[in-house]
Amino acid sequence: MSNVTLRLAPATLTRGLSRITSPTGRIPRPCIVSKWLQSRNLTVVAAPIQEAIPLRKHLKDEAKRKRAEAKSNGGTKPHAKDSRLKKWELTVGIEIHAELNTACKLFSSASAEGTDGVANTRVASFDAALPGAQPHFQVATLLPALRAAIALDCKVQGKSGWDRKHYFHWDQPNGYQITQYYEPFAKDGVLRLHASDGVPLADLNGAESIEIGIKQIQMEQDTAKTTHHRPSTYHIDYSRAGHPLIEIITLPHVHSPQTAAAVVRKIQMVLRSVDACVTGMELGGLRADVNVSVRERGTEGTGSSYSGVSGLGQRTEIKNLSSFKAVEDAIVAERGRQIDVLEAGGVIEGETRGWTLGATETTRLRGKEGEVDYRYMPDADLPPLVIGQDLVEHLRSTLPELPSETVERVRNLYGLSLKDAKTVFDLDDGDRLEFMEETIESVQRKLGRTDIDQLEIGKLVSNWIIHELGGLLTTTELNWESMNVTPGELADVLVNLHNKHITARVAKQLLSTLIETPASARSSVEQLIDDGKLRLRPLSEEQYQAFAAQIMDDNPEMVVAVREKGQKGKIMWFVGQMVRRGEEGTVEPEKAREVFDKLLVV
Amino acid sequence: MLSARSCWRNASKTPYRHARYIVAAEGRHDSLDAIISFPDTQSGEGAEEEQHGQATISSGLAGKSIAVKDNIVTKDLPTTAASRILAGYASPFDATVVKLLRQHGAAISSKTNLDEFGMGSHSQNTNAGPVLSPYSRNGLPLSPGGSSGGSAVAVATEQCWAALGTDTGGSVRLPAAYSGVVGFKPSYGLLSRWGVIQYANSLDTVGVLAQSVEDARQVFRSLDVFDAEDPTSLPVSVRQRMRLQNSGSGQLRIGVPKEYNIQELSSSVRSAYARTLNALLAAGHTLHQISLPSTRRALSAYYVLAPAEASSNLAKYDGIRYGYRTSGPDALPKDNLPLYAQTRGEGFGEEVKRRILLGAYTLSSEAIDNYFIQAQKVRRLVQQDFDRVFAQSNPLLHADTSNSLNAEGVDIILTPTAPTLPPTVEEVKRQSPVESYMNDVFTVPASLAGLPAISVSVPLSGQEREGLDEHDVNSVGMQVIGQFGDDESVLAAAKVVEDLYY
Repeated sequence: MSNVTLRLAPATLTRGLSRITSPTGRIPRPCIVSKWLQSRNLTVVAAPIQEAIPLRKHLKDEAKRKRAEAKSNGGTKPHAKDSRLKKWELTVGIEIHAELNTACKLFSSASAEGTDGVANTRVASFDAALPGAQPHFQVATLLPALRAAIALDCKVQGKSGWDRKHYFHWDQPNGYQITQYYEPFAKDGVLRLHASDGVPLADLNGAESIEIGIKQIQMEQDTAKTTHHRPSTYHIDYSRAGHPLIEIITLPHVHSPQTAAAVVRKIQMVLRSVDACVTGMELGGLRADVNVSVRERGTEGTGSSYSGVSGLGQRTEIKNLSSFKAVEDAIVAERGRQIDVLEAGGVIEGETRGWTLGATETTRLRGKEGEVDYRYMPDADLPPLVIGQDLVEHLRSTLPELPSETVERVRNLYGLSLKDAKTVFDLDDGDRLEFMEETIESVQRKLGRTDIDQLEIGKLVSNWIIHELGGLLTTTELNWESMNVTPGELADVLVNLHNKHITARVAKQLLSTLIETPASARSSVEQLIDDGKLRLRPLSEEQYQAFAAQIMDDNPEMVVAVREKGQKGKIMWFVGQMVRRGEEGTVEPEKAREVFDKLLVV
Repeated sequence: MLSARSCWRNASKTPYRHARYIVAAEGRHDSLDAIISFPDTQSGEGAEEEQHGQATISSGLAGKSIAVKDNIVTKDLPTTAASRILAGYASPFDATVVKLLRQHGAAISSKTNLDEFGMGSHSQNTNAGPVLSPYSRNGLPLSPGGSSGGSAVAVATEQCWAALGTDTGGSVRLPAAYSGVVGFKPSYGLLSRWGVIQYANSLDTVGVLAQSVEDARQVFRSLDVFDAEDPTSLPVSVRQRMRLQNSGSGQLRIGVPKEYNIQELSSSVRSAYARTLNALLAAGHTLHQISLPSTRRALSAYYVLAPAEASSNLAKYDGIRYGYRTSGPDALPKDNLPLYAQTRGEGFGEEVKRRILLGAYTLSSEAIDNYFIQAQKVRRLVQQDFDRVFAQSNPLLHADTSNSLNAEGVDIILTPTAPTLPPTVEEVKRQSPVESYMNDVFTVPASLAGLPAISVSVPLSGQEREGLDEHDVNSVGMQVIGQFGDDESVLAAAKVVEDLYY
């Protein structure tokens, strides 16, 4: 066994420890346990740092694979499915596991933070299941869990309990997971989804939104992380063992694969907006299991009942889906499989199935007879979890704005369309929205007027941030993080535009210059305008008319096209000519259009 | 005037025990297998002095040698719980009770033998070789009682001044009774379990074995502090409340439960019990017949609950992070090898496996309603039985106990600790597992209710000893049970019983 240097607890650990209540501080520090693990000759190696695949690349690969499949299937399959869906109705319930954003583990003082790449550095006695070690509930982990429960409209239970869920696996050091099986801390929530969240119109059925019931939310422990080193070596990293998770269980209220994906996406967005969750689904911070059943429309299915919803077909469970796409595709595939079986006169068996990205079918993992009997038992070491209503109310009143609330506010305040409001909110983890609001504020300050219509400024700024700035980022192949134009600079440009001191063309040019010049080497916007002599020197009506007449004389065939062939669209060609031929900062396209309209149409 | 303790010593020492003590002191290999491990002898007395030197609290324990049951973790000595699965296990931390003993200047003299993980009543189910009682019958060794048999024998043969044991269903009281010493199980939650290897964690209690009630009390008081490491440690506020309501000493109202007068009660135990009750009456205390109707079902409930918790608590022993591991491949998913089956199969003894299987079954979805849930209900009934008969109300149920004194109630309950004198180990071997569970019938109810209980030995009369040879036991254990948190009254009452004879 190679001798490996063991890194001691990272600096973040001290922060983690100081946040938790440990009156005596006698719990062996995680680093001691690491040393101890090492003395037991356990391999402690730097786990290969797994690079997160960017979502866009992931989706692109997905799409590529799909196209290839569609080709090989002759593109007929979707239609075949669609016709069968008139007869069969899908029902889906979803369980989402999300890692809570906390400083320490659920039942030990070991840090839950940091990905330093060195295995087994954040392990307390209890996390390694040392004989005689007991769990210590870390109250701080409750806060993000409660924020999630409140944001999902759940009833927080005054008293809940901890149960042991038993199964043997090396990633489960105690041989059981501590969870909240009998008495979860939050129940009876609801998630509201609109068409803009990705719910198909058929699911909305004419309504503006649908509601998906949240059955319960429970807190529980994560497992250790296993890495497989082929052919037959497995490395176990207990740093993840005991991380706090929440499991969110929806009622079987979902009836399409798209809505299922929308539910997961929306829950992720809610968790992120209230700072409950560490990372997005694609980074492994979120995992979903889905329960899928179909029944013939208008029937009671097999009369099965799940979470109090009855008259459903026999369900199967698909485990461990780690992207929105996987959720949608797995359900599509499993729905198809179940319909195939039922139409052939078969019976669906209650079983657990798996799904791999890019597959066309779910695969059977184990049947009912292979199900683990988890032997749930209350954990006698842990007192009940008592949550005061005052804490809940305090958190409710200080909860960050929810995504739907933000979108609504942006629409009302700045006059954005629903689509634009959602777009700007979704971009760059909310950074784009923050940038927009700062720019709007700056523009208003610079205009020095409060009487001006905020909606007008809002529309102007959002248009420039979503479309003009967005377009420039694409053409310059820059990403948002490396873009260093400040809201103040953009505001300077837009104030000049608004006051008609520059033309829109110049404004675009300025923005492009700002993006391409390093912040240290840039002059102020005013300076750039002066240096480039870009300030608008408006032409008089006569000058416009003379300029226009000259262009018309130069292009008689175009004049004919407009006047005699009625090709009105060609008017814009003349406008373009005038803008191009005019001296920088003199021609305003709107004015030019007016002039040509008059001269050409009469 | 002689102190009770010196009287006790003079009275209780038989020539046999004296001899064994000398042998034990000379060679540790003949310590009746009470000991599993000793501190490193290389450093000799120096090491011991070093340990004394750590005392930070001035205490009567200073310089005293105290043995610790081997299911309580220690940094300097291996901790095996007498199981192969923990062969050579070295804990990176000391149990809180061990830390406290050191702070009081006591020397941890050795780790004592036990029934594997505390599962047994005779200290015969051990990977370290069965513990022998200092007593024998017709040349056949007697059971020392279990599971803290090593601690009891070490105290009885003066291999230590006192010892820590653990009591889940009687594991301190029964060996104390069989080995002729005092064994005290405090209220659940008073002594820290941080570092105590779990068997059935809702019942496990650290207990004290000593030569006299006074010694046991001294050790108990040194350990009776809140410990934040143990989530079941009683908070300071509850401890303060309990201290206020301790029954006074003086005249005792003594409960005599009619349900304990069972068929299996042997004549010598019955006679010694009656004699003790009469002596207490003569000393001015009053006797009151009480009824604890759930007693009969308590034993069954215990043997459902304890194995259920054991099956859960012992799931962590998989040979991955520490402890015994089988030599061949185990847990290879690609070859479909069942996870750890080989390792656990080889690492656990028969009784442990029996209880894990029993517990796994009673927790299974098909059986949990009929077994685990029913047993929890019985446990509640047992608690209610006790709450009904005690004068003091249960401080865990009523925050304000000032006006809830039950005038008809009793201060303590007196029962025999076990229905018979210790059987020989040969008899134990012939017993079915269920028959051997019978030894716990009197100790289990107090465990289910978490109550303080102590076994104190009373000498057998000449008549009661009739038919026993000189190497056989000369005492029988009597058990004093008190209301939850009323530990001091239990100790005081035990002292009253002790003072009747010594």
